[in-house]
Amino acid sequence: MITRAATVERPRIGSGAAPILRFEGVCKRYGPLEALAGVTFQVNRGEVVCLIGPSGSGKSTLLRCANALESIDGGRVILDGVDVHDRRTDARKLRRRMGMVFQNFELFPHLTVLRNVAVGPTTVLGMSPPKAAERAMELLRKVGLAEKASQHPAALSGGQQQRVAIARALAMQPDVMLFDEPTSALDPETIGEVLSVMKRLADEGMTMVVVTHEMDFAKRVGSWIVVFDHGKVVEQGPPRQVFEEPTVQRTRDFLSHLGWHGESLAASDLLVHSPSNTP
Amino acid sequence: MGRRVAAPEDRTAMDVDISPLIENWQFILTGLGFTLSLSGLSIVLGVGIGLVCGVMRTYGGSLLDTAIGLYVDLLRSIPVLAILVWTYFAFPLVIGESLTPFSGGVLALGVHLGAYVTEVIRAGLTSIRPGQMRAALALGMSPLQAIRTIILPQALIRMLPPLGSLIVIAVKDSAIASVIAVPELLRQSQVLAGKTFRPFEIYTAAMLIYFLICYPTARTIDQIYRRFAPLGAS
Ligand SMILES: Nc1ncnc2c1ncn2[C@@H]1O[C@H](COP(=O)(O)OP(=O)(O)OP(=O)(O)O)[C@@H](O)[C@H]1O
Ligand SMILES: [Mg+2]
Repeated sequence: MITRAATVERPRIGSGAAPILRFEGVCKRYGPLEALAGVTFQVNRGEVVCLIGPSGSGKSTLLRCANALESIDGGRVILDGVDVHDRRTDARKLRRRMGMVFQNFELFPHLTVLRNVAVGPTTVLGMSPPKAAERAMELLRKVGLAEKASQHPAALSGGQQQRVAIARALAMQPDVMLFDEPTSALDPETIGEVLSVMKRLADEGMTMVVVTHEMDFAKRVGSWIVVFDHGKVVEQGPPRQVFEEPTVQRTRDFLSHLGWHGESLAASDLLVHSPSNTP
Repeated sequence: MGRRVAAPEDRTAMDVDISPLIENWQFILTGLGFTLSLSGLSIVLGVGIGLVCGVMRTYGGSLLDTAIGLYVDLLRSIPVLAILVWTYFAFPLVIGESLTPFSGGVLALGVHLGAYVTEVIRAGLTSIRPGQMRAALALGMSPLQAIRTIILPQALIRMLPPLGSLIVIAVKDSAIASVIAVPELLRQSQVLAGKTFRPFEIYTAAMLIYFLICYPTARTIDQIYRRFAPLGAS
């Protein structure tokens, strides 16, 4: 049982300063379908915001709207005070500040692992190849894949590919990292190594927006939970509140559908793993 | 083989004499040089057109798509021989400037090949799943950077087999430039056969030379594809 007294209300991370990313009534339609129906929430610096919600509720769409890969039909997305979708905004400049990690990795198959990580800095930032390779190598070491640098992505496991994809996004030194279900396409054995890289990133203070079905991760690493349904935010709050005392019926339905019953979890096995470097 | 050949002295069809080939090897070599330069340049032109038009047709919006579609459909519906003859005899009237047989040949064959390459490039580009473009754009690349460094290389690897056949066909098609008197291999062979009355030896040699160019080319492209195919699979 959870004792209410033990739950000390702490202020939300970064709430003292202006948010790094803010969604203000964002609407997006695909023909008659309203994929996003006025989404409003904010991401503070240093936060790990986890977006959860049923399939088709618009979570991926929201991430694509966040870095202007997709246009919006209403509302605003503000990155560090700049309207992302404003016609006068250089979307490309803003995208450099948001790293994106995809469900299917989307590594570039024709490039080596090292070039996958270095290609952003060389083509977008105009960095010299040796310098970019140095940065790439450093990041590959960070995700535990330095020895795979000269291989092509096809030779790597799913978990390894996703770690390379994280390194690729980090190579642009973004202010925010956007993750779209980074572990959904992985074999259960390799989920842990990706989650632990993400946890380490969070511990270093990286601002992260994570769409996930890994409730353990959301609860243990997330600092703010946003629950989506039918293109709307139905509930948001700190993990303890959302997972243990959800105020909205839709949240309760969603969590119980996932087999979550509100009990406090013991330290998840998944997160104790460190990235394995075994080939 | 049983065909009768008009010859000064009476001899059987199988009386083979390769001395005209040996005596005129430079004449044939000139023809080979023209075949290689004509097909090489028309391939460069055709692949260049195909790359530009393929990319524009895929990413350039509906207006460009329609315009380039018209070029592609038009050129694919006309015999290449007709295109060649038109380019050499009729096109100069349009531009008020005459063309040499060689430049007319390069132009006609290149523009013709370009239509086919355009479609192959387009098929390659559209076969790359949209997530690759998204990932490139998400890094901050411009669409052009994304196409050049991410999408097009993968598309080219995937499309190597059809591109290879188009290249081999382009070498073979260069023979039709003989009708506008480009002194390429077939044309030189015709001239030589007329002079020496040795069509069997000379045309057989010409066929052999075409085979010796095209077959290794096809095999090489095939080998390159085998080697790189895994890199085009996203
Ligand atoms: N390009 C598109 N064209 C048309 N409809 C789309 C497009 N992308 C998404 N949709 C629709 O928008 C809705 C929201 O999709 P989205 O992928 O954002 O959901 P999601 O919350 O990410 O779901 P999942 O958990 O399955 O990934 C869905 O109904 C989807 O079918
Ligand atoms: Mg999704």
